[in-house]
Amino acid sequence: MMKSLRKFLVLQLSLMMALCLGACSGGGSGQAEDPSAKTVKIGVLVSDTTSAEALAFRSYYEDYIKSVYNVEFMFSDELKDAAAEQSAIDNFIANNCQGIISMASADRPAQIEKCESEKIYYAVATGTLTDEQYETYKGYEYYVGAIGPDLSIEYQTGYDMAKYFLDQGYTKFGMFTGASVYFTEMHIYRAAGMLAAMCDAGNGTYNGVTGMDIVGKIMADGGEVTTGKIGSIELNGVVSGYDFDDAWFGKLAAVANDPEVEVLLAVGSGQVTFAGFKPEGKMLGDIDCYTADSVGLMEAGTLNYLAGKFSASIGPIFAATLSAAYGKPIRTSEGNAFALSQGYWVAKDAETAKKYYEVDSSVTDPAYSKEQLDTLIGASYDDFAKFVSAYSFDEIKK
Amino acid sequence: MKNRQRKINAAGILNAAPVIGLILLAAVFVIIALVKDINLSYSFKNIVNQSIITMVVATGAIYIYTLGAFDISLGASMCVSAIVGAMAFNRTGSLAVMLAVCLGCAVLISLISSLLASVFNLPVFVTTIAMLSLLNALVMVLIRANGTGDVVQVPAAAVRSINNVWFRLLVLALFMILCVTTFNYMKLGRQEKFVGGNPLCAKLTGMNAKKLSVIGFMMAGIGVGLGAFLTIVYAPTLSRNTAGSVGMDVIISIVFGGMPVSGGARSRITSAAVGALSMTMLSQIMLVLNLDSGISQMVKAAIFLLVVSVSMLNSRKQILPR
Repeated sequence: MMKSLRKFLVLQLSLMMALCLGACSGGGSGQAEDPSAKTVKIGVLVSDTTSAEALAFRSYYEDYIKSVYNVEFMFSDELKDAAAEQSAIDNFIANNCQGIISMASADRPAQIEKCESEKIYYAVATGTLTDEQYETYKGYEYYVGAIGPDLSIEYQTGYDMAKYFLDQGYTKFGMFTGASVYFTEMHIYRAAGMLAAMCDAGNGTYNGVTGMDIVGKIMADGGEVTTGKIGSIELNGVVSGYDFDDAWFGKLAAVANDPEVEVLLAVGSGQVTFAGFKPEGKMLGDIDCYTADSVGLMEAGTLNYLAGKFSASIGPIFAATLSAAYGKPIRTSEGNAFALSQGYWVAKDAETAKKYYEVDSSVTDPAYSKEQLDTLIGASYDDFAKFVSAYSFDEIKK
Repeated sequence: MKNRQRKINAAGILNAAPVIGLILLAAVFVIIALVKDINLSYSFKNIVNQSIITMVVATGAIYIYTLGAFDISLGASMCVSAIVGAMAFNRTGSLAVMLAVCLGCAVLISLISSLLASVFNLPVFVTTIAMLSLLNALVMVLIRANGTGDVVQVPAAAVRSINNVWFRLLVLALFMILCVTTFNYMKLGRQEKFVGGNPLCAKLTGMNAKKLSVIGFMMAGIGVGLGAFLTIVYAPTLSRNTAGSVGMDVIISIVFGGMPVSGGARSRITSAAVGALSMTMLSQIMLVLNLDSGISQMVKAAIFLLVVSVSMLNSRKQILPR
């Protein structure tokens, strides 16, 4: 019996290996000739699967877009490094996805190169390429483009948030700089914007520099922001990283309860970090997204300023990807991929936040509906760019 | 006599369970692929491609697991080795130097782990926890020292010529030959199994468990070093998250492959390869079914527990006192 079993296993394994090796020399992504005639598969690369923002994005695609378009979405697991991104793209190719929308940025150039070589449309959502990267890849046939807050918008969003409190006469600040210590540019630019606003309001400098130069200073300091006086403004506490250990929570509590801090500013996750420790009377500003929790915090007076992404903001990039899959790619007048910027919805009171959230969380009438997105399928670049640039709540709901 | 034969047959089936499991998973995958719109040839290429790094690292780790020990810092070690290797390449422009540095760094880290355990007479598991913290901190130090933001990069063009499944298979094959030879046909494998099965008996027989531990860790280090090199080739942008899942993948692969969690005489060097392929195949099935990642994790956890239970069922009554 054992001999028979062994023979059977050897035979099966040999067949499998033969199939594998045969497959290795095989190829082709098996793309359909007429993609508009059947369900279009789109892979979505995600580096975050659990945050409120990530869940809202997923819900918009799966609960709304999928119900109104003939598309199927495949979401990757949580991608933490470049190798995982490459594997996820391979998985999407194996599943005959015609397009990939990326919300993961460990190695965007490698993602673009891979998709170009495999002839699969690739688009960047909720982010943009650097100028250098755009120049390199803008002419790639399968690179659709990018829509998201570019770094200047991140800087300006941080600046505006700090200025909002500075204009009210507050002078003592505490900051949470998130992933700046991991050199995450988005967080560094937001933090730099906040510090630049303090420099302008306090007629001082942050460690000898002002404005955009603060970005370079933070980079040179290993992503760290240091406390100190900025002219007449005081930065009295800074917490960074996402350690989630007792020491980290202790630092957050210490800064939130420091009597020398009047306003707490967070480059992100302020509702997770400072909100739980903040005593009454102190102000809190955050850059994140609209959730039931954030509305509740604003109603309770715990959160006083929120610059948030809206989940339907990933609608236009979907439309562009679908348009490309239908054979109608949206290109600039020079025939290049687009690079468009899109900012945040800002709420300074609970009523506004509630209004934004009601629209943002709707799976029947979201900010960008099918009727609006339909106008983008096969649209000209100018029309597409005009649509994307009108991203404020009032413009969209007009 | 018949009863004994029946027991032998049952044990044989249990021993073959991982391979049978792999075949079943492959069959399920093929059926689903035929029903759904799946590119089967690319999928199999993909499965092989994605399994290889885990196969290499896990095969080396078998030497540690055979001793009944456990290393939780393999992923962090691989990340450090890859970053140091990439930095070496950026200085020299030589792939050979990068390979040598990856191997040297990984072996050195492994040796430090085993020597710490020997010097302080601590369980290896404890020292590897300390090493995990140390290596994670070292990763950040290295990235900052490199001064290129949050990543260390090797130019993709430099590794493009070897970034293919055949090169990865070649590396795997060479390492497997080394491991199968030393584990199955040389004194080293037999002694490791003996020490893992019953350290007291092994000691009374005159075997030097510490020396075997150092050799075992060295072999694991070679696997980690090769894994680091292959990681750079596959995705030449390295960050603090590089190889973050490798430590857990190795453990799951080894258990999926039928390796007894307690090590010892029933340890098999091929367990890691079978387990890694099974795990990747299972992941592909989950992906094709478009299951939520949370549900996928739960399914994997349930299968993991099932496999461990079956493995324990096979060995519970036969293990020697330790």
